[in-house]
Amino acid sequence: MSAKPAVEVRGVGREFDVSRPWLTRVLAGEPRRTLRAVEDVTFAIERARTFGLVGESGSGKTTVARMVVGLLRPTAGSVRIGGVSFADPGDAAARQSLRRRIHMVFQDPYASLNPRWRIERIIAEPIRAFGLAHSGEAVAERVDELLALVGLHAGDRYRFPHEFSGGQRQRIAIARALASSAELIVCDEPTSALDVSVQAQILNLMRDLQDRFDLTYLLISHDLAVIRHMADRIAVMYLGRVVEIGDGRQLFRAPRHPYTRMLLEAVPDVSTRGRPDAEIAGEIPSPIDPPPGCAFHPRCPLAFDRCRRESPPLVDGVACHAAHDGSAAD
Amino acid sequence: MTPAATSSSRAGAPVLSIRDLRVEFALRRGVLTAIDGVSFDIGRGEVLGVVGESGAGKSVTGAAIIGLVDPPGRIVGGEIRLGGERIDGLSEEAMRAVRGCRIGMIFQDPLTSLNPLFSVGDQLVETMRSHLDLSAAEARRKALALLLEVGIPAAEERFGAYPHEFSGGMRQRVVIALALCAEPELVIADEPTTALDVSVQAQILSLIKRLCRDRGTAVMLVTHDMGVVANTADRVAVMYAGRLAEVGPVSDLIDEPFHPYAVGLMGAIPSLDQDTSRLVQIPGAMPRLSAIPDGCAFHPRCRRAFDPCAALRPPLVAKEGRQVACHLYGEEGGEEEGEEGGDAEGDARGAAP
Repeated sequence: MSAKPAVEVRGVGREFDVSRPWLTRVLAGEPRRTLRAVEDVTFAIERARTFGLVGESGSGKTTVARMVVGLLRPTAGSVRIGGVSFADPGDAAARQSLRRRIHMVFQDPYASLNPRWRIERIIAEPIRAFGLAHSGEAVAERVDELLALVGLHAGDRYRFPHEFSGGQRQRIAIARALASSAELIVCDEPTSALDVSVQAQILNLMRDLQDRFDLTYLLISHDLAVIRHMADRIAVMYLGRVVEIGDGRQLFRAPRHPYTRMLLEAVPDVSTRGRPDAEIAGEIPSPIDPPPGCAFHPRCPLAFDRCRRESPPLVDGVACHAAHDGSAAD
Repeated sequence: MTPAATSSSRAGAPVLSIRDLRVEFALRRGVLTAIDGVSFDIGRGEVLGVVGESGAGKSVTGAAIIGLVDPPGRIVGGEIRLGGERIDGLSEEAMRAVRGCRIGMIFQDPLTSLNPLFSVGDQLVETMRSHLDLSAAEARRKALALLLEVGIPAAEERFGAYPHEFSGGMRQRVVIALALCAEPELVIADEPTTALDVSVQAQILSLIKRLCRDRGTAVMLVTHDMGVVANTADRVAVMYAGRLAEVGPVSDLIDEPFHPYAVGLMGAIPSLDQDTSRLVQIPGAMPRLSAIPDGCAFHPRCRRAFDPCAALRPPLVAKEGRQVACHLYGEEGGEEEGEEGGDAEGDARGAAP
């Protein structure tokens, strides 16, 4: 298993049916309408590495995350985690152990913890559910250990979620992920709801835990600086497709897709003060009715005829006709 | 332009001047001080970024200026001057004339600041006519021009459209048009781009910057995002626990912050072109308003805290063209400048164009 990547996502796609109700549709003689949230996404994550997915709202990042953890079934392609897929028939035991090995940390730390449960019970739930400790003392001991790992006090176990700040709640969510000895943690905008100083604490904590337990992260964020700071490899998504994928440093140093360049120019960053305002036009189009050809062509400064007709394949880490031709070199 | 604005700009006085503002919330369990002795100025055409973490009092400061502090909160001390006139303590009616007319507002969520039952055009026309003496046709012409100016394509066709028919970025453009339609002297933008995507955020920020520069409107930009401030503001005020920690020109403050809290805040931000394996961490969290520590509010989290920090509250003193409230810089500033109100004024005048 060590040679295999921790996560393999191959040609994954997901469509949602957004048709109107059946009767209305039939009476009005309308066809079914589908929304392609994700199309043909392929990537792999090495063990103990962080993979970053970045894109604007509506780009399909969260849908990919939900398919990776098995909350949504892909309508095309496959997701394999440690060589096992949720879609595999048979071998229920392997699927069960898969569930234990994946955990998700959500954006909103206020909504992701049961407000009626004490912290102890919240953290102990996965331990009990997966039968990882048998006696009550063993569970309590493990909870103590987990609280210490994420930087909370042992006394916090008797408190309720509302007694904690946003950052502390995100620590609890991480402790819960560690409780089942998860190997892959999918973090969907883990720090977007937090203040910068708290965000720094959580990002540092995530790094420390990764070093210690060889965790694999799939990190989703709209914040390029956070992705840049955390991820080893990065995929940039636009309207359900990966437009560029590559080594984190490289991608930020020399972005090749015009959309990646536009994003990097648009980000207000403390290090880019005083540069002229980027000329950015337009907004992300509706995924129900995407433009033909390359989805980015209406906003792209390099678009030419072919972009309006053909959707560019992801070749050599970038999906752009201009980049493939070499005309995007400067 | 209103007469007051013209005269104040001629005199070179700041558009907005706040002195020693204090806002308290009287609750059953005690009085909470949300804003404690905040003083700053904003000059004509200047963008002042007010940054801080949640609970620092940024939004309450904005609300106090427009007289919309929710009860039980109230302004208990200090003064707010707009174009030289005091606007704190005005009657509700007088304040209504100031809001919208002399102070424009842009909030985080454009949907809540637009009325869903009226078309965008009608809302603009109504706002203009209630503040300016215009005929319906004139107001319509001006509204159309304004929509074009804020970058709404096909403004003529979209004039009768309702807010839900616009995208988030377009809605925020409409809100900006609404805020500017009565030609205010000051615009308060409270997290104007937090709900938007980065590419749209960049468009909106450059729009706010351009329009205000062209019109000479002063802007108070409240945000939690240092990156936004770095790219948009001329000066920055860093707030902590309802007090000012540091005020200064944006480039100085970002390159070399003085106040230990500002230092921590800058180090905590992941940057796009720096390789750091760990971010700077400020231990602990912002205190609750009910438990603000004695002395300097930051001292329990401060690495450089020493004797006086726990007992004495540091005054805001001038240092190298900036103002900082920290005992580390206390001595020199204290000797040069006797009283903090005086140097705050000098500072603002120097920075205003």
